[in-house]
Amino acid sequence: EEDSVLVRQKLVKVDPKEEEDFEREMKALMQESLESRKLELRSRPTLNMMIPMNVFEGSKDPRFVEGESGEETVDEEGGNGGQNKVRVKVLMKRGNKQQTKQMYIPRDCSLVHSTKQLEAAEVEE
Amino acid sequence: EETGDENYEFGKGDFTEHACRYCAVQNPACVVRCNIPTCRKWFCNSRGNTSGSHIVNHLVRAKHKEVCLHKDSPLGETILECYNCGCRNVFLLGFISAKTESVVVLLCREPCLNVNALKDMNWDLSQWCPLIDDRCFLPWLVKVPSEQEQLRARQISAQQINKLEELWKTNPDASIEDLEKPGVDDEPQPVSLKYEDAYQYQNVFAPLIKLEADYDKLMKESQSKDNVSVRWDIGLNKKRVAYFVFPKEDNEVRLVPGDELRLRYSGDTAHPAWQSVGHVIKLTAQEEVALELRASQGVPVDVNHGFSVDFVWKSTSFDRMQGAMKTFAVDETSVSGYIYHHLLGHEVEHQVVRNVLPRRFGAPGLPELNASQVFAVKSVLQKPISLIQGPPGTGKTVTSAAIVYHMAKQGQGQVLVCAPSNVAVDQLADKISSTGLKVVRLCAKSREAVMSPVEHLTLHYQVRHLDTSEKSELHKLQQLKDEQGELSSSDEKKFKALKRATEREILQSADVICCTCVGAGDPRLENFRFRQVLVDESTQATEPECLIPLVLGVKQVVLVGDHCQLGPVIMCKKAARAGLAQSLFERLVLLGHKTFRLQVQYRMHPCLSEFPSNSFYEGTLQNGVTVNERQSSGIDFPWPVPNRPMFFYVQMGQEEISASGTSYLNRTEAANVEKIVTTFLRSGVIPSQIGVITPYEGQRAYIVSYMSRNGSLRQQLYKEIEVASVDSFQGREKDYIILSCVRSNEHQGIGFLNDPRRLNVALTRARYGIVILGNPKVLSKQPLWNSLLTHYKEHECLVEGPLNNLKQSMVQFQKPKKIYNSRLFYGGGPAMVH
Ligand SMILES: [Zn+2]
Ligand SMILES: [Zn+2]
Ligand SMILES: [Zn+2]
Repeated sequence: EEDSVLVRQKLVKVDPKEEEDFEREMKALMQESLESRKLELRSRPTLNMMIPMNVFEGSKDPRFVEGESGEETVDEEGGNGGQNKVRVKVLMKRGNKQQTKQMYIPRDCSLVHSTKQLEAAEVEE
Repeated sequence: EETGDENYEFGKGDFTEHACRYCAVQNPACVVRCNIPTCRKWFCNSRGNTSGSHIVNHLVRAKHKEVCLHKDSPLGETILECYNCGCRNVFLLGFISAKTESVVVLLCREPCLNVNALKDMNWDLSQWCPLIDDRCFLPWLVKVPSEQEQLRARQISAQQINKLEELWKTNPDASIEDLEKPGVDDEPQPVSLKYEDAYQYQNVFAPLIKLEADYDKLMKESQSKDNVSVRWDIGLNKKRVAYFVFPKEDNEVRLVPGDELRLRYSGDTAHPAWQSVGHVIKLTAQEEVALELRASQGVPVDVNHGFSVDFVWKSTSFDRMQGAMKTFAVDETSVSGYIYHHLLGHEVEHQVVRNVLPRRFGAPGLPELNASQVFAVKSVLQKPISLIQGPPGTGKTVTSAAIVYHMAKQGQGQVLVCAPSNVAVDQLADKISSTGLKVVRLCAKSREAVMSPVEHLTLHYQVRHLDTSEKSELHKLQQLKDEQGELSSSDEKKFKALKRATEREILQSADVICCTCVGAGDPRLENFRFRQVLVDESTQATEPECLIPLVLGVKQVVLVGDHCQLGPVIMCKKAARAGLAQSLFERLVLLGHKTFRLQVQYRMHPCLSEFPSNSFYEGTLQNGVTVNERQSSGIDFPWPVPNRPMFFYVQMGQEEISASGTSYLNRTEAANVEKIVTTFLRSGVIPSQIGVITPYEGQRAYIVSYMSRNGSLRQQLYKEIEVASVDSFQGREKDYIILSCVRSNEHQGIGFLNDPRRLNVALTRARYGIVILGNPKVLSKQPLWNSLLTHYKEHECLVEGPLNNLKQSMVQFQKPKKIYNSRLFYGGGPAMVH
């Protein structure tokens, strides 16, 4: 218990000057990143954002997805993420191949907003 | 199966590869790897004692932007990238989820999130969830180490982090323990005025050059860019040229023609992996680079996207500086005894060069010299070392050319003429050649394809066009090589030998050889000796750079420059602090060496030269042009005082931090710059007559994009207008100059505008007229700016309001902080532009 008190004391010690300096550099990096992309007119992207069918199918049978991607990693919370966590599939590309991996995100995360989504996630559990 | 954080043991055993490089936390669920090839360090997602998590701290401080997850993390070994376009900049990435499914993807904020077509799809764009939130990676993607873990980790402070990041720039493998080691924090030995001998000189300068070289290497090699789109072309010499945009990520690194880049393609089903090195032969104002490839074979010319570009750093220039210092020390014949002692600051008996002076000091093909120029030429010819100070527009080049002409006529062998920049060397070569002397301009091999205004004088051109029958063999081989791309090895040998012999012959027959200071160390000049050397722009060269042309046997040296304008650009702050930014010219001035000052300026409207003359040259600058010669007839521009083509346009807009993080921009100033430019263009001024100067790279980029987006005239007109830093305008002129000061924060300094040398350069570029935009309340705190503002106010040229209805401004100035310190001229700070 003494340990945790000590940790909390440490966490509040942030030098305001350092913080301000850091904030400035971070904002700049952000702004620069945005502006550099805005200027790149030539690379207006074409969309390649279709959700692969196996994801829909897999929502009824989670094993299907696991079989498909082959390297599904199970979050360490295992099956008990149910209470305050929601299981989602992360869609990724490796080369040109689509791939899904699963991950747990907090129920109150802005990504989890429609009840439909919640239901979909719960069906899986 | 692993079930929790407790499984990881802390503080035990050796360093684990994926341990956080700050605090040593090594739980795979809590760490990510920086994906920059030169970095690849791991960091955790805990905040420790700092304002951002360790990984975010690193990315921000190192300006790195890509990461990869650990193979044992929930998502496995994954480089985080936009699902749609593959963008890997984590500062742009965030998750979106499908409207009805529990499916999420990473998507970049710009441009993918803003693609209209996406709205109609199955994705919910309203809840884009950034990857980095509250200066921390999403904790459900990269776990925050538990309190337990944090407690057992190393307690690193923000200061230590900053020091470590600084150290990594020169030593990527350094650990936090290295911070404690002696030497790391030590400042290098600073330069001094005098040196015991050339060995001591070398001991001081060699480490500084090493520091600068290391820093340069690191900065440039970290400039790799992926996802570059390429446009292909073929040059006149039949070589492949790739065009692409290589934006300045960090404005400290400036690409120049002759730089070497590597272009890579990782391959696809139809193309094997490919790479080639090439030289930059051109840079456009839009930051497009033209790269001439060394090898034309196997170039994937039907591919246009997905290339990567790396900078290939060369140590040549630094090696030559080190070499020159060594020669200076060990070779007694490298410079005359008099010059040796003089350069080291020893007291030497006065010496006169016994030369027959010419009857007139001008030279054929050059304009008539004025009194101060004649005096300079005459004095220089009789002295072993002379310094000529050439304030803006005073005819430095003409004076230098006249000196070189008379030196060459004295029959003491060939004269070597150098300057740190290629532009200055070209100008000199041109002027000297017009006196009728035989001039050879020696270019670096890497610059042979770069356009030069004096191409006919260059060695490589002369080798190709020397049209005598003896050379026919060389020409035949050259032709063969051009057509086939390469020669058989025996032909190649023959070709090289013939070429070398021809080069030597041409060089030997020249009266004058012109090259950059670094170029004087070219192997092709190895066996040449030069008794007489002139170095122009010598105040923009570091001492070791200036030494390169001198150690070829110099007996008489002329240094031309102006220590009241900007000095050499030093990137490494440590080296700059130690005095590497001080030129040899400046040190000699500090040692009490007298300079000849050219006193008549031929550039500026007399109204424009008044303030610079009084503030920087003790009022000695005379006008060689009249008001009438600088009247902009037919140009209808709303100057507040007719016949006084200058005004200070009061701006109250806010400054913002921009682009590079150390730079600023000011939107209102940019908008007004566009209005002024448009008014000039409407009144009949053409784009090439206008120059926009701003000390900040952030503002430069913003003005360029603002004008092309908002200018009411044809876009092309705005594109042709040069917008650049003060530093890149040094040595040049424009008819009309618009100066945007940017800084407008009452609580902070004015940064780079504080250097009087920079202000001097900015104010002395215009021939016909100048408009300055800035905030008098802020600028007036600085004594020199205060007097500039007062000067404009006294002449009723301090104005505000709309451009078509300018009114005198009643804005109150602040009291200047301290008395103007003229010592700022000497050895002032680094000349970097941020
Ligand atoms: Zn990194
Ligand atoms: Zn850490
Ligand atoms: Zn994208």
